[in-house]
Amino acid sequence: MKTSIAFALAFTALALLAVAPLILPEYWTGVLLGMTGYVTLATAWALFSGPTRYVSLATVAFFGVGAYTVAVLNEVLPYPLVLLCAAGIGMIMALVVGLSTLRLAGVYFVIFTFGLAELVRQTVSWWEVNVTYTMGRYVFLPFEGHHIYWQLLALAAITFLIAWAIGRSRIGLALKALGDDETVAAHAGIDVTRIKLFLFVVSSTIITLVGAIQAPRWTYIEPSIVFNPTVSFMTLIMALLGGAMRLWGPLVGAVPLFLLFEWLSGRFPDHFSIILGALFILIVFVMPNGVLAKIDDLRKGRQS
Amino acid sequence: MLEHLINGLVLGGTYALVAMGLSLQYGIARIMNLSFGDTIIAACFATYILFSSFGINPIVALAIILPASYIVSLGVYRLMMEPLVKRAPDEGALEVDSILLTFGLLFVIQGCLLVIFGGGYISYSFMNTPVSVLGTLVSGNRLLALVLSLAIGAALVIVLYRTRWGMILRAVALAPKSAPLFGIDTDKAARMAFAIGGTMAATGGVVVSMFQTFTATTGVVFTMKALIVVILGGKGSVPGAIVAGLLLGLVETFVAAYIDPGLTLASVYTVFLLLLLVRPNGLFGKA
Amino acid sequence: MSAQLEISNLHKRFGGLVAVKSVSFDLKPGEVVGLLGPNGSGKTTVMNMISGALPCDGGSVRVGGKDVTALKPHKVSKHGVARTFQLVRPLPTLTVGENVLLSVAYSRKPKWGRAAQAIVDEKLEFVGLAGRGDEKVTNLNYIDQKRMEMARALAAEPEILLLDEWLAGLNPSELRIGIDLVQHLQGQGMTILLVEHIMEAVRALCSRCIVMSAGEKIAEGPSAEVLQDPVVIKAYLGDDHA
Repeated sequence: MKTSIAFALAFTALALLAVAPLILPEYWTGVLLGMTGYVTLATAWALFSGPTRYVSLATVAFFGVGAYTVAVLNEVLPYPLVLLCAAGIGMIMALVVGLSTLRLAGVYFVIFTFGLAELVRQTVSWWEVNVTYTMGRYVFLPFEGHHIYWQLLALAAITFLIAWAIGRSRIGLALKALGDDETVAAHAGIDVTRIKLFLFVVSSTIITLVGAIQAPRWTYIEPSIVFNPTVSFMTLIMALLGGAMRLWGPLVGAVPLFLLFEWLSGRFPDHFSIILGALFILIVFVMPNGVLAKIDDLRKGRQS
Repeated sequence: MLEHLINGLVLGGTYALVAMGLSLQYGIARIMNLSFGDTIIAACFATYILFSSFGINPIVALAIILPASYIVSLGVYRLMMEPLVKRAPDEGALEVDSILLTFGLLFVIQGCLLVIFGGGYISYSFMNTPVSVLGTLVSGNRLLALVLSLAIGAALVIVLYRTRWGMILRAVALAPKSAPLFGIDTDKAARMAFAIGGTMAATGGVVVSMFQTFTATTGVVFTMKALIVVILGGKGSVPGAIVAGLLLGLVETFVAAYIDPGLTLASVYTVFLLLLLVRPNGLFGKA
Repeated sequence: MSAQLEISNLHKRFGGLVAVKSVSFDLKPGEVVGLLGPNGSGKTTVMNMISGALPCDGGSVRVGGKDVTALKPHKVSKHGVARTFQLVRPLPTLTVGENVLLSVAYSRKPKWGRAAQAIVDEKLEFVGLAGRGDEKVTNLNYIDQKRMEMARALAAEPEILLLDEWLAGLNPSELRIGIDLVQHLQGQGMTILLVEHIMEAVRALCSRCIVMSAGEKIAEGPSAEVLQDPVVIKAYLGDDHA
């Protein structure tokens, strides 16, 4: 009963968001687009990093690979196939990264993902300069802002559905368990590495798709644009602010932070990174489990 | 060939030096410090200012920067790390907290440097006269950098392995839970290890600034390389950090010279991954 | 009858220290055997090698005739081996019921939903925690956490149960309850290997005992005989008492 009401509410919100670009001026469609992109990124990030506590800093590596795949293939293949290719490449990359780092302790993973975006950017740049002799590519796709927005909205809805379904399934239970104690989880019969790998692949594939869908926004793409590390950092802080362990946490964090960053980067472009850093520090000290958990705590505190 | 070997050793020497600092912070203070590289870069800028505005020789600058960085690191630990250490229920939670906190610190330091100095490449000319070594010409500042790294690194090794105080630090690194049973103040050891780690980073910064150009945003790359050296060498192992640092410097220099300068990071990562797959605990790490 | 659990020449080193040195023993189906020895003699290490928590440096572990030596814990559990831990290890973000449900969901015959809930309720009732599935683990007292851990182990429907000092730290009346529980399992035909220091429990439960000292097996046989063996007494209490 409660689930069906929640679903009805979510569906209504989705429908309202879908018709919004028909009413709103173009600027606000752009804002909604960027926001939906980050909500999807943060939710997908939290899907893996939330319960496992493996802090991934590789978001932009996958995001950039998605965008670059579209840039390379957009004139060769029909668009749906291009998206499929992007998803496939993201998936394979996640498998390789996951297989080599997820068996190891969390620290190795953090360190590896820390440099992964830079590694991919260097490799792509090198390849473009030395093998294909191009630097920078054009994306010619007949999409306007609201077309991209609708695609992202659909991806966001799918991401939430996946996150919801996982939360209710035995995989969700296993994830919580291995976040608590991997040894106990393994003795209960859980293939710890496989579950981590599975979630990392799902999460990374969605992130790759966000990059792929957003690619036509830029028209001109080069490695330094699509592999901008700020994307990883913003995704991370959005998910943490809202609470990475909860379904709606990343959304709650992403919406206000996106608007804040949008405003800040217009007003104080030079001080952006100082403010971003200060926010990180503030979150760690004040609400390490996110806003939603903080609200719960405060509520409980008042009751008792 | 010999020229690359020497350049690789110079670079590797500085990597080893800063990695020892990070290893102290991670191995003893249990803080995974992602703002480590920005400490290095901050010291680079400090040296640059002292040299170009006040005409202070970088070697003399060391005498100012080292105590200053010790005090600042100690302050950072007291103010920001200690509350986290006290609050963390287990080592994993502290790891995640410290990663996020120092990540924030990274942005704050980097942002401040950007606001003050802008994003351009910075370098200054100090002892830029070529010196002949075994028949090849090496610039004097590189040679000085190598000598300094070796001397300071050796000093640290002697302190760690030959003094009572070094033994205390090593005991805490090996067995943080049992060390208090022998009357060791682990909190104090952690504080000092973090501060010394920060000082090593600053030393590395002074040394690096003598022969390399730097920008306000290069800190991240240094952090990454220092982390890789620490992991490769084995968590908390000083000899490991030295060997891994030199190895990394050589690999980088040779890849840049013979394959492509754009692929240095890719090569470093390949070495990192291969070694992790073969020896998950690092070259000198214990299972 | 063939052995349910076969350990042969098991070997483990930690750096220069040999923790377990060619230890061999068998458990027949339905047998309850005590693994005894002073602290640091390698009992828990043997347990960890059986369950797959630690890799062996030599020797083999066979369960029901199948080699499980090099397998990871989750694979070993699929061969019908379940265990409890020396220090209770509840999963704090899960409720009591979810802790048990986890084992059901990832057992050899995984279940989910109502069928799984029925098993969870049954196991909780068996260990004496009926109706407390929705409670937080952190609210349970020590014996109840131990009960929950037992329910979690049993929920996988194992054939072999490894109990690592499961009865330690209980007061006399709780100990009685604990012994009754294990005896009940024994009645159902469960094969049990238990590491235990409480001699009262060993005498009550184990038909046979294996004694380790300094990584080696020093005695094996019917409990009453083994506990009188001078070698065993010497290992526990020193030369003067032998």
